[in-house]
Amino acid sequence: MAERKTIFFASFYLFLFLLAPFVLSQTNEDCLACHADPELKAEAGKSLFVDNEKFLSSAHGKAEISCVDCHTDLGQTKDFPHASPLKPVDCSQCHETASQEFQKSVHFMTTETKGSPIVVGCKDCHGTHDIRGSDDYDSTIFPLNLPATCEKCHLKKVPAKKGPDFILKYEESVHFQALQKFGLTMSANCSNCHGAHDIKQVSDPLSPVSRKNIIGTCGSCHVGIRKAYLEGVHGKDYVKGVGDVPVCTDCHSEHDILSRQDLKSKVYATKVAEVCSRCHDNLALTRQYGMLASRLETYKESFHGIASSFGETRVANCASCHGFHDIRPSSDPNSSINPENLPKTCGKCHPGASRNFAEAPIHVIRGEIAGTKYRFSYYVKNIYVIAITAIISVFLIFIAADLFRRIIRKDKHG
Amino acid sequence: MDSSPHIRDDEIFLRMNLAERIQHYLLISTFFLLMVTGLPLFFYEFKAFKWFFPTERVFYMRGIIHRAAAVVLIANLVWHLFYAAFTARGRNNLKEMIPKIKDFRNAFELLWYNVGLTRFLYRLGISKKFFDAHPYWLFKNPPLFGRYNFIEKFEYWAVGWGSVVMIISGFFMWHVELSLRFFPLWAHDIFVIVHSYEAILAFLAVIVWHMYNVHLNPEVFPMSKIWLNGQITGQELRLLHPLEYQKIVEEREKSLPKNAAAT
Repeated sequence: MAERKTIFFASFYLFLFLLAPFVLSQTNEDCLACHADPELKAEAGKSLFVDNEKFLSSAHGKAEISCVDCHTDLGQTKDFPHASPLKPVDCSQCHETASQEFQKSVHFMTTETKGSPIVVGCKDCHGTHDIRGSDDYDSTIFPLNLPATCEKCHLKKVPAKKGPDFILKYEESVHFQALQKFGLTMSANCSNCHGAHDIKQVSDPLSPVSRKNIIGTCGSCHVGIRKAYLEGVHGKDYVKGVGDVPVCTDCHSEHDILSRQDLKSKVYATKVAEVCSRCHDNLALTRQYGMLASRLETYKESFHGIASSFGETRVANCASCHGFHDIRPSSDPNSSINPENLPKTCGKCHPGASRNFAEAPIHVIRGEIAGTKYRFSYYVKNIYVIAITAIISVFLIFIAADLFRRIIRKDKHG
Repeated sequence: MDSSPHIRDDEIFLRMNLAERIQHYLLISTFFLLMVTGLPLFFYEFKAFKWFFPTERVFYMRGIIHRAAAVVLIANLVWHLFYAAFTARGRNNLKEMIPKIKDFRNAFELLWYNVGLTRFLYRLGISKKFFDAHPYWLFKNPPLFGRYNFIEKFEYWAVGWGSVVMIISGFFMWHVELSLRFFPLWAHDIFVIVHSYEAILAFLAVIVWHMYNVHLNPEVFPMSKIWLNGQITGQELRLLHPLEYQKIVEEREKSLPKNAAAT
């Protein structure tokens, strides 16, 4: 019984196998018989031309995958010209992992949303017949080409919530400049930060660019900086989950990350103070976290601050004394502003800086100077203000009296 | 002061010789440069001053120009000190510049003469007896000035005092490392504050006091030309510096009999 069954199935499969060349008769040549014509158009006017040269040089062409492997609904068709339109190509039958990832993405969500005018599929990023591997220079997802691929939709069709210019700002960034000018493919392009198949909205906590993940995302390339950040006071609070702690993008901005030598950079020497003071001159935040307030105000009044406001980059800014990625509190013996280290820190610019530097605080708040030695300078200032007012007043009194007498005398003579 | 036959009204006297004028020119130009390159730092909050130093490079040049002008100012001061010590004219000028009790009295008298309140009261018949007994308090005439009046003396010594303060405080601001080796930071802060407020004082003094006295004063308006040609006429001398006028008259009177004997 079992033997008969085996023979039956074996002969059935053999039959199918022998029949296959006749049933699955559509070779690429068959398709191209029509589709090689550049003039071939659907009724709606859409071009149905397939450039065989391009297909042959594509990843699928090189792998000798035939038309009907993707356009599976044509496998059985015998009547030509075949019915149109075809079923959408399902890439997941081969690209299973990518497809699964894609189903978690914001692109897939929009496709799933009923009535959404936006449908994003594989082909929107990867192309159709000329799909190439990411290491192919001509690929839509080759690092040098990827920004243009994303910008196809995200400049106009689906602009960023932060405004249509927000995406374009990426092109001003060091990351894009490195890509375009120097061809450094390891420089960050869209997918390095946002992910590829499983791209998510920034508000999604799983997004690599969410506040929670951004340190790891930037840190995947900037490893040393990430290490330094996590050792500093900001990084320690970040690990604790403090929401207000600055992450990479708070100081360096997002798409338009510029070199700190760039005048427009938020961390350009003369602009750093503004960045830091968003929190450290913010009364609400300084109260909430028990930080010292009025940091910007007191810096601005110093020669450092004044010269900096005139564009002088060689004077000290916040980072010159406090460091940047691994800023530490003065109580930390490794801190550049620990009293023990101050002479060395000041000595970077002021060779031979003595311990005197460490004696008095740099950020002096007016209301808090009573009792410190700083009060002397305020006495001197007040004396000067009084003296200047008095002297100039006396001058003006003499001038007024002189003019008064001249007017009276003129009246008498005239 | 009545006109004397010994001095013609159009006779020319040299009030500032060439050396003195050059010293004055140097002082003007260095003072101007120092103000232009220094004051904007004091008023750093005014956005208008930002275009003064549009780029970092210009701001850097500002520091260089400020220091260079300071060096010239110091050199000028040293020259003036030597001039005042080692030339007869310089020594004489310096002697004339020495402040005296008379100068304080003159300032007081000039103010009351100009205000004229006591004369007004006298005309109204108030305190008539007092004024009849003490006519000084009526300030009937303006005080008589010598070669340098109290205004000029004040300005001269103000420049001297101001220069010393600015040079010392400026030196330590220039060499901040040196300063902070000898002084604590709060003391260095005082240098900075003194330097800036003394600058404001000097600026206002020049703009208000000196500009009025040598430019806007109706007596000399639009400008006293002494700083350009150094010349003062006999008439101006008689009106503005009567005591010096008198002194010259007396000197000439003394030398007259000799001349008469010779002829």
